[in-house]
Order: sequence, then C-alpha cells, then structure tokens
Amino acid sequence: MSLVARLCERHSVYLIPSINNLTVVRSVTKARIPNTATSKTDKGKHYGFRILELIPKPPEKQQRIVKKIQALPPRMNQMAVDQDWTSVWPGQRTFHPATVPLPVRQGYPKKNEAPPSKYGNAELMKIPNFLHLTPPTIKRHCEALKKFCTKWPEELDTDTSYDKHFPLEVIYSNYCYSGPSIREPMARIVSFRVKLSNLTLDQHAKDKILRLVGERYDPESDLLTIVADRCPIRKQNYEYAEYLLTALYHESWRKEEWENEKTLADMEYYDWDLEQSRKNLVTVYAWPEIPQDYDYENIPNATEYKIAVSDLVNNGEDDFSVNKYKEAVKKIMFWKPDGDKPNEK
Amino acid sequence: MNVISNLSRVAQSLEQMVLNRCIHTTSITNRVQSGRYRVTLKKNRPLTYEMAYQPCHIAHKKSWNSWNTSNIDGGNRVMETTIEDMFIRRFMTGTWHALFVSEIIIKRHHNMVRIAGIILRNLDPRKIYFLTGYSEELLSYYLHCPVKIELQTVEKREDVVYKYI
Repeated sequence: MSLVARLCERHSVYLIPSINNLTVVRSVTKARIPNTATSKTDKGKHYGFRILELIPKPPEKQQRIVKKIQALPPRMNQMAVDQDWTSVWPGQRTFHPATVPLPVRQGYPKKNEAPPSKYGNAELMKIPNFLHLTPPTIKRHCEALKKFCTKWPEELDTDTSYDKHFPLEVIYSNYCYSGPSIREPMARIVSFRVKLSNLTLDQHAKDKILRLVGERYDPESDLLTIVADRCPIRKQNYEYAEYLLTALYHESWRKEEWENEKTLADMEYYDWDLEQSRKNLVTVYAWPEIPQDYDYENIPNATEYKIAVSDLVNNGEDDFSVNKYKEAVKKIMFWKPDGDKPNEK
Repeated sequence: MNVISNLSRVAQSLEQMVLNRCIHTTSITNRVQSGRYRVTLKKNRPLTYEMAYQPCHIAHKKSWNSWNTSNIDGGNRVMETTIEDMFIRRFMTGTWHALFVSEIIIKRHHNMVRIAGIILRNLDPRKIYFLTGYSEELLSYYLHCPVKIELQTVEKREDVVYKYI
C-alpha cells in the first residue's frame, strides 16, 4: 500500500511542471556546520551532524569559585592604650581574641613549642573569664551603688554587740543553679539560733527548757538551735520555728501540778543544797547538839566544800576535782579559828 | 538405686554447667575507643587541640565542653541538662552546616545559656548575623532560657589544627 502511495506522490510531483510550464525547479543543498556541541546546553544551537569521537573527551570541570570573605583586621589593633576597658567589655562574655588586647596563650604545649595562641583556641573560650570584673569596673559599680547605701549603725561595731542587739539568729540558704528553675528543695530549711542566756529564765524554767529541747542545746556554746524543715516553703518553716520558740519559752515557765512530785532521784544534776551531804556537814558541825535548820552560812569554808563536792559529782572524777575535794575537806576538818588549835570537827 | 544414681549424675552435670558458665578463661578486653584517634600511615590526620587529648586528660590538659551545675555533686536537673545539651549540639551543627571547626561549648550561668565555638569564615557576614539571631531565638524558645551565641571565626580549617597524626 505504502509503495503505491509513494508512486502516486512521485507522479504528482512530476506532474506539477507539466501543468505550469513557467515554474523552474531548482534544488540547493546547504552545507551545514558539524555539531561540535559538547555540553547539553549547547545542543540546541547546532543542528549539523555529530562528530564521531572514538575516545570521548571528559567534560570540562567547572572550577567552583569560592568567594573570599574579607574579614576586618582585629579590633584590638585600633584600641588606644588609655581606652576605657569597661565599655569595651561591659558584661560577662566568652573570650574573643580580636577584642582582648593581651597576648594570652592557653593549652598544653607540644615539645619545644609555645602553648597554643589565642586565635582559634577553644580552650580559652571554655574557661570562665573575669574580664568584666576588673578593679576599675568594680570601683565604678561601688560608686554607682553608694547612693543606695545607708550608714552603718555605730552601735554595731563588734561581734559581741550583734549578740546584744540581735540575740536571735535566723539561718537559711539560697541556692544558685544553672537552669531555668529557681526552685530548690533545700532552700526551705530555716534554723533559729539563740543563746540560752539571752532568754529570761529562772532555775526551774531553764531546767525545763533543757529537758524539752534535748540535744538541740549545745552546752559548750550555750546555743539553742531549732531547725524547721517539715513545711514545703521557707515562710511556713520560719513561722513554724517562731511558733516553736515561743511555745518552748512559755511552756518552760509554766509549772504543772506533777512537777512538784520531783524527788532527789529525778534530779538531772547534783544539787548539794538538797543532798544528804549538806545535812551531814551541818549535823557533824553542830554535834553533839541537834541542828535546828541546815544552814551552813556560819560554817567556815563550807561554800568551798560545796563547790568541790558538786564539781566532783557533776563533772566526774579527775585529778583536779579530786585534789580540790581533798583540799576542801582538809580545810573543813583541820580549820583553826585562831591558828593555835584545830577545830574539833 | 538406679534413680538415685541417675539423680546424682544429673546434679553433677548441672554443677559442671554452672561452673562453666561462671568462669571465663579468656582474657579481658578493656577496650576503650571513644575520643581516641588512630595514627595514620602518612601522619596526615589533622587533630584539633580537643581531639588531640584523650578523655582522661579532661581537667588536666583540656577542659569540659559543657559547663553547668548539674554535673557537680548534688546538682539538680541532671537529665534535663544532658538532653538539652545534646539537642543544642545537634541543632547547632545542623543549622551552621559544615561551619563549626571546634566542639560546641555550652556554658550555663544561672538562667543563661551561652553557646560558643569556632566557625569558618565561609559565610557572608549577613548570613552569619541571620543565623545567630535565628538560633538564639529558636533555642531560647525551646529551652525557656535566654540563649547567647558567641562565636569566633577562623579563615581556614588548618587554623585550629593542633597536630597531625
């Protein structure tokens, strides 16, 4: 079929000049430029035949042009010698070599070499610096803060005066952490410290308060310490400690009915005035008469004896207290009123 | 009798098995590889100061990359800080792609997070300013703290090389 069609076509072409005799048919063959395009983008420009390349050339590599970023010279080169350093480095900041005009070096040196210089030195950037806290800066801070300060009270010149004017000491801690939270469970703890001698207490009240506080009292420093940590917030603990101290004070002053039943065996310390020793001394001194009352005021050296015996029993036996006791006994036993004859007893 | 002898044999084999399981006859390999780099044949592997010293030299010849109070004894937010630091490191290396030539140093002062490091000068200064602001803004949004990025630039990678092994 196609062959027939083509034949017809050819005939028709040949028929055209015969119909129109004036037409001159001329065919011109144009020489085309060979297709030398190597890259894909150039292909559209050339339509000629392709050149056979038995060994094709590798495509030309385009050199990537790296734009050179021009950096300014270090800032320290332009710094004046008498510049104001505080305005250069006003706050805390990581070390920057171009800003700090000091030839600092940091790092463990290699053999026969200097430590690494400040440029490109990560070690210098790690460590905390105090370039924002130079002495002139601190002086300036103090000057700025001075107008907010009040005069120090003259009465508080020594440590003992603090105890006198502020007998109660409140201790609590604030914690600084690196993190977005300011909460710290340890910050809730509040301690009250007061000297027992600063509280108005009689003998009974002092005895009772010591029994109530137990080991919270330190006899060496005479300090009573109350630690409150059971509430979750510091203010609550503070108020609780206040309450405890108040309750302790008033409770120690109160005398209950059953407290009168305290016997000699319940005494927490040796009280010579209540003990048998006093009765013995007075009885022996008054012998053969029977003493009317146990008054030892007129017995010579009795006070010394009393102190010696109390110390011996209360503080325990040691060489010093035993010797003291011995001297006291000797003085009582062999006391001479006029220096000529010994006392009978 | 048979049963008893069988039982005793079973017990013996069990004991043997247990003993075999417990005792190792091979030597122990205390192999530690992290933070250590192999020496190359041509001695051309570049190491920064940080890489040149092993982790055992921390606090002797080099210092920590994270400075915070969580690492001290009794510090709080240990887990949160560690995870946040990991996140910051990933964020920074990804955002400042192929720019950091040092480790990323994270310092925490109270509420403030300071991120320091050394970058290359390959980038246009305008882009560096943009990335700084972008990272600070996003990180402070994520971490709920103010973040400051304090960078130092070097011209080429060789400026931070301490030695070649």
